[in-house]
Amino acid sequence: MADPHGAPDPTAAHDSADGTPRPSRAQAFRETLFELIRLDGVRGGLIVTPDGLVITSELPPRFPVEALAALAATLGRELELGASRLERGAFRTALFSADDGTVFLGGSPVGYVTLVADRNVSVETVRAALGRAVDRLRGTWRTAGLT
Amino acid sequence: MMAVNDDLQAGHPLDEGGRRVGLATFLERTWSGLTGLVRPRSAASLFRLADQYRHEGRYEDAADLIAEGLRSAPNIAVGHLLDAYLHVVFREMPAAKASFRRVLSLDPYHPRALFGLARIALEEGDIEGCRPFLDRAIQYFPDFPEAKALQEMVATWSAPAVAAPTAVGTITTDRLRLPPGARDLILTHSDGTLVFAQGSEERQRQLALHMTQVYRIASATLARAGLGALRRGVVEGASEMTFLRSDGGVILGVALPHEVEAGAGLVQVGRLWTDLNIKA
Repeated sequence: MADPHGAPDPTAAHDSADGTPRPSRAQAFRETLFELIRLDGVRGGLIVTPDGLVITSELPPRFPVEALAALAATLGRELELGASRLERGAFRTALFSADDGTVFLGGSPVGYVTLVADRNVSVETVRAALGRAVDRLRGTWRTAGLT
Repeated sequence: MMAVNDDLQAGHPLDEGGRRVGLATFLERTWSGLTGLVRPRSAASLFRLADQYRHEGRYEDAADLIAEGLRSAPNIAVGHLLDAYLHVVFREMPAAKASFRRVLSLDPYHPRALFGLARIALEEGDIEGCRPFLDRAIQYFPDFPEAKALQEMVATWSAPAVAAPTAVGTITTDRLRLPPGARDLILTHSDGTLVFAQGSEERQRQLALHMTQVYRIASATLARAGLGALRRGVVEGASEMTFLRSDGGVILGVALPHEVEAGAGLVQVGRLWTDLNIKA
């Protein structure tokens, strides 16, 4: 689709404004997602920022990436806000099961990891891996000096 | 052949690879480098680079560039849009809202700004306020799948109608097998109408609003992924686990200690479901 947000296309070099090369956080996101989608029963996934930007996506072609990203970001924000309002501690992970599969969501300051899995996926295995991934993503945020 | 060090000593200009270059080329490159140092970057180039950094998750660098760009060109909509995006990433929603509104003051039809305001309205629980933003975004930009996904999601929603306190409490918990450490037991209709909840009236209201929103958004997500209707959910917070069960008509939720495993918690909420003998 044409991009309705009107922001310019990214075309510039990969170094920071002062010319110092920095590791791309996006690369860490891609590696994190790639590890998760290799788990048995996981069909694919994406990482979306709270503003709905898809940082990386590994979903089969039939999945509507933009729509899923918008919904995942909205769901992630609601889970964050609910955890805070209800004093349940920071939101970490969630799963929602239906008759034909399960959606997993991991929350981190940089964004939400969303996985689409088969019905018979090992929930505990994916949850544990997702929890580790979320911790890694929190690490990238802290490394950058953000709290 | 003269070695690199010999070239330097002889005063021959070299390129980055240590190759000799002509004097004219050397002067041209030197001049270009010097002017590049003193010539301010255009706001457009700053925003373009900021957008790239945003795509790479380099929000701090992006924020610096956007601030610099907006100082020199405060009336460029895309700068304020990028500013709004970063405020959302940093969860600074009032500032994000102000920046999205600034975009609309410069470009009243900007679909991304409209979409951004719709999402903020949604997370504020302002469903009626959310709809016009989505409708306008799609009106001005029909090929906008993110906005359409949310528009379809909220199309059938009404503001959660929390039941009056007199209608609450018709379910007795005496016969329920409440697991140890269970709290925030709640039963609502999928439209948000509260049937029963533990806790104070204010806590009941917050629980009902949150659980209904989670149920609705998660249901829409599952449907978009082609997986069917939501049946069970597990939400892990740092201190508690929340378990959900639904048949499409009602939603049952309970919070359990964080140590409870997902499978065991789902069994517990299944028992509660049976005990309540729920018929939607």
